[in-house]
Amino acid sequence: MAFTPFDFNEAIAQRRDHALEGLRHGSPVVGLSLDAGLVLLTVRRTQRKIYEIYDRLIYSAIGNQSDIEAVRLGAVDLAAREGFERSPDDVTAQRLVGFSLSPALKEVFRDQWRAPSVIRAIFGELGPKPEDDVFFVLNYDGEFSQHAGAAAIAGTHEAEERMLNHLRKFVDRLGATPPGVDSDALLTSALAEALRAWAVGLIALREQPDREEDEAAEDPALVVAALKEELATGRVEAGILDRATKREAKFAMVAPDVLARATDLAMNAEGA
Amino acid sequence: MADADLRTRIAGAGPIVAMPQPSVPPADLQRSLNPLVHGTTVIAVKYDGGVLNVGDRRATANYSVMYDRAEKVLPIDDYTLLAISGSYARAMEVVRYLRHSFRYFERSQLQPMSLDGKLAELAKVVAASLPAALQGIGGFIPVLSAYDRVSHEGRIFFYDAMGARFESTDYAAAGSGSYQIRGVFNYIVKTRGPFHEMSRSEALREALLMLDIAADLDAATGGWSKVLPLAKTISAEGIEDVAEDELAAVTAEISALER
Repeated sequence: MAFTPFDFNEAIAQRRDHALEGLRHGSPVVGLSLDAGLVLLTVRRTQRKIYEIYDRLIYSAIGNQSDIEAVRLGAVDLAAREGFERSPDDVTAQRLVGFSLSPALKEVFRDQWRAPSVIRAIFGELGPKPEDDVFFVLNYDGEFSQHAGAAAIAGTHEAEERMLNHLRKFVDRLGATPPGVDSDALLTSALAEALRAWAVGLIALREQPDREEDEAAEDPALVVAALKEELATGRVEAGILDRATKREAKFAMVAPDVLARATDLAMNAEGA
Repeated sequence: MADADLRTRIAGAGPIVAMPQPSVPPADLQRSLNPLVHGTTVIAVKYDGGVLNVGDRRATANYSVMYDRAEKVLPIDDYTLLAISGSYARAMEVVRYLRHSFRYFERSQLQPMSLDGKLAELAKVVAASLPAALQGIGGFIPVLSAYDRVSHEGRIFFYDAMGARFESTDYAAAGSGSYQIRGVFNYIVKTRGPFHEMSRSEALREALLMLDIAADLDAATGGWSKVLPLAKTISAEGIEDVAEDELAAVTAEISALER
C-alpha cells in the first residue's frame, strides 16, 4: 500500500486530534523556580500527579495515565542507570528529554500501527542557584521546549500562555523582593500564586476557543470562584526540590499545612 | 499498568542498578594485593533519640597509613546509616550500590523500601564479597544503623562475613580495633546503664572514649591528634553530623584524662 502526501497529513492530523482531545481535560500543572527550591503544583483528583525522577529532577504530566507512567518509569530507569554507572552529576533534564524521551515519543507518534501516546509532560531540574534551574516541557509527538523561571502545562496552547503570563508577573514581583524576607512566607505566597495560575489555566480551558476573554480569565473573582468549585472535589498537590535541605533526598511533597495556608492565601488575598 | 514497550524504548533493556561482583585474583597475585585490606574501628551505639555512629579516619594498607581523612560512616538514605570496615574499595562500591538501589526502588515503586528489604539487600552484597574475603582481600563487614519509621526507634544491625544478620539491642562495632574494645561495651553497660537510656552527649562521650582505647590498642585505628574522628547521628529528623566544635571539646576532654 502506497501513502500519498494527503494520506500522511490526514493520518498525522487524526493522531494529533486524538492526543489533543485526551489532553483537554487534564488538570494543568504549574512550575516555579524559587530561592527555596523548584516547585511543581497542581490540583489532583484520584491519582498522584507529581513525582521524583532523580536527585535533582521532578516530573508531572497530563494525559493518559498509562502513558504518564511509562514515561515516568522510563525516565526513572534511565536516570538511575546513568547516575549509577557514571555520576549523578551527569543526569540532566536536557540529556534525558532531548536524547531519550523525545525520540521515543516521536517514534511512537509516527508509528501507524500503534495508538499515539497522550501526554504533555513537565520536567524541572534543580540547579545550585535559582538562575541555574531549568524546565522542559515535552509533547506527545516528541516536540519539547526549555523554560527558565516558570513553566506550565495545560490541555491547550491558550491556557498555557495565560498561565505563563500570570506567572511572569509574579516572577517579576518576586525579583523585586528585598533579601532577608522570611523564606517560609515567600514559599507560601509563591504556592498561592501558582494555585491562582492553575485556576487561570482552568478558566481558559473551559472557554470556547473563539471567545476573546484574555482579561476576564485574570479576574480575581473568577479565579477565586473557580478554585472554590474545583477544591470541593479536588486536592492541591505540590512537590519541591529543596535547594537548602541537609537531608539526603532533595525531593519532598509539600506538607498539607503549608498547602492549606497557601490555598487560604490564594482564595482570600484579593488582587494579590 | 504502564506501557512497557514505551518504557523500554526510553530506557533500553537490561539491568538498571546492578551490583558489580568482585573478581578473585589468581593465588600468585594475592600476596602483592594483601595491602588492599584496611584496618579501622567503627562504633554504633544507641542513645535516647536514635543511634550514634563514630569512626576513626585512618585508612591503612599493610603497615602504611594511606589516608588520614577517610570517611567510614556513610549515609545511605535519610533513614539508613552504614559504618564500614574491611576493603575500602569494595565498601565504597557497596555504599554507592545501596544508595542507588534503595532510591531506585522508592522512585520506581512509589513507596520506600522496607527496613527488612534493605537489610536483605545488604546481606546479599556482604555474602557476595565472601570469596574475596576468604582470599584475604576485598571482604568487608558493615554495621547498619537505621531509624525505624514503623516502631519509631533507632536500631542497629551487624553482619558476619557470610552475610548473616544480627540485631543488637544496644551497640555494635566492626573493624580490626573492635575486638580490643568488646569488653569495654559490657563494662560501660554494667556500670553506667544501657546506651539507649543515655542522652546524646553521654553516648557520644562513651563512644569516643572507646574509639580512643581502640586507637591505643590497634595499629590500624587512627587517633585524633591531627584529624578529628567522624560522628553522625540518625534519628526521626534524619542524619546529622556531630559538629566539629562539639567533637573537639569532647575529644580534648578525653585526651586530658591521661595527662
